[in-house]
Amino acid sequence: MTPFDNIDWSQLWYPGPTRRFTPAEIRRAGNEAPSATLSMVLMINAGVLGFTLLQAAPPQLSSVLSAWLLCLVTLALSLGSIVWRRPSRRVMSACALGFSLVCAVCAFAVKRTVSEPVRLNWTVALLLGSMAVVTVCFWFVAIYRAHQIELRLRELDERERAEELGRQLADAQIQPHFLFNSLASLQHWVQTKDERAGPLLASLTGYLRATLPLFNRRQLRVGEELAAVQHYLEVMQARLGARLSWRIDVDEAVRELTLPPALLLTVVENAVEHGVQAALHGGGVELLGRVQGGRALIEVRDTGPGLAPGAAEGTGLSNSRERLRQAYGDAARLSLGNAAEGGCVARLEFPFVPSKHE
Amino acid sequence: MSEPVTALVADDEEAPREQLLLALQTAWPELSILARAVNGADAWDAYLEHEPQVCFLDVRMPGLSGIEVAQRIAGRAHVVFVTAHGDHALEAFNTGAVDYVLKPVDGLRLAQAVQRVRARLNQAPPDLARLLQQLGVQARRPAPLEVIQAGVGREVRLIRVEEVLYFESDTRYTRVVHADGDALIRTPLKELLTQLDAERFWQIHRSVVVNQRCIASALRIDEGSMVITLRGRDERLPVSRHFQGLFRAQ
Repeated sequence: MTPFDNIDWSQLWYPGPTRRFTPAEIRRAGNEAPSATLSMVLMINAGVLGFTLLQAAPPQLSSVLSAWLLCLVTLALSLGSIVWRRPSRRVMSACALGFSLVCAVCAFAVKRTVSEPVRLNWTVALLLGSMAVVTVCFWFVAIYRAHQIELRLRELDERERAEELGRQLADAQIQPHFLFNSLASLQHWVQTKDERAGPLLASLTGYLRATLPLFNRRQLRVGEELAAVQHYLEVMQARLGARLSWRIDVDEAVRELTLPPALLLTVVENAVEHGVQAALHGGGVELLGRVQGGRALIEVRDTGPGLAPGAAEGTGLSNSRERLRQAYGDAARLSLGNAAEGGCVARLEFPFVPSKHE
Repeated sequence: MSEPVTALVADDEEAPREQLLLALQTAWPELSILARAVNGADAWDAYLEHEPQVCFLDVRMPGLSGIEVAQRIAGRAHVVFVTAHGDHALEAFNTGAVDYVLKPVDGLRLAQAVQRVRARLNQAPPDLARLLQQLGVQARRPAPLEVIQAGVGREVRLIRVEEVLYFESDTRYTRVVHADGDALIRTPLKELLTQLDAERFWQIHRSVVVNQRCIASALRIDEGSMVITLRGRDERLPVSRHFQGLFRAQ
């Protein structure tokens, strides 16, 4: 491993940013006009440079040179704005090449008009110098702009992903099917003065009270989440009657840990929906939590038909996985599979790090 | 006085089902409810048994979804879907071809649906096959059954589903007939049906499902009655009217 390994030598003969942006990406990043501040700084610099050079140049040349310099600066600026708009290697190199060509033509023209060798050398050196300076400037503009677009795109991507996750979470959570089916049972039992109405209303209220604030929190104590899960299971119990049996058995130590909100709820809802409601004779859901080898392990088992081979994963689950990754990185895992004894089992493993509560 | 219109109501949850029945008493008092089904398999079986004119089907049910039941009914009855939430899929129905009512059932909305169904009663129900196909099947479905475990005396015999010739309902049991004999299992045929590959196993009667590869011929006996014969077997199995369309000379 030498220090040269990290150098991209191709920049010597083909300079410019290596990433190519599509016109759509550039549009998405916005800010199509070159920054006014940058233009002003370049303009002032060019002015000062030109003025200094003209002061230093032999007086006989000043009229010719000032005309050439004005043309060259205008050309450099307009080419620069092209590079700004399309910061790719190809555009940047083409502009640099074009500018160099104009400089060469200028040098040739100066040679024809100026006869004295000293003045001639001085002028050609000036043109070559400005050629080099302008190429470096183009390179700088292209790299700066490419970097800016890349950052902006990444920022937009991240923001969109966060918004999408939030939206999916809200969609996945307050499931209209759950809500309206529960209300249908409730309405019937209220109309017929069935005594099951009261407990169902209490559980549904508890569920809503627990879940609605869940979405605004980044982390939630497992114990709090389990309260919401319990309310959910009570509602389903009232609706499905003998078709559903359930059990929650989670160690105190695990209840004190934190998880992204609504994660367990999503897994339990999946188990009830696919494992119990979809089974002709109903079934059971078991939620077990314990600490094992320094890690917390929560399992949600159902007695349903299990996963069909090649079944696609629901958005709820991939969403949960993503939020788990944001909270714990690679240290946590959520896997779904078929249990040996039948049914589906979701296993959630995460680090056992007791948190301090104020 | 004409015959009362007959109907079937299917919902896997008790309270919404009872609520719909109660609301129907007000919205359509002279409707005669022939059957109440508690899941999709039950609904399909009840349909074959009673052949009602109108079916109120919950969309999400275990066994078969309401949409799958409607696919099987294949335009032989008027269907009203019942759902807790307007699925995107169901919005396709808003074109007026089929009605749906939302749970909890609203008396006014139900009355409108009832009115539309009554207006259509004299016409043939629309065949929604194509529309229903588009809706697809949302339920997570286990892979089709491969092996049947049948208790014969003290042993449990494993019968490969592909070797089964036909299944036949036998009061509370299902008779599994295969090349080497037959066996009784406790799973009712209507439930077994939902676990079989429908391409391979054709239901030809409410109580008979036959392995399509074993069918030798279909014979029309007289108007409305048909039997099939099996390769290398003597028995003749009845094909009920609903399924006679499966056998048509090309």
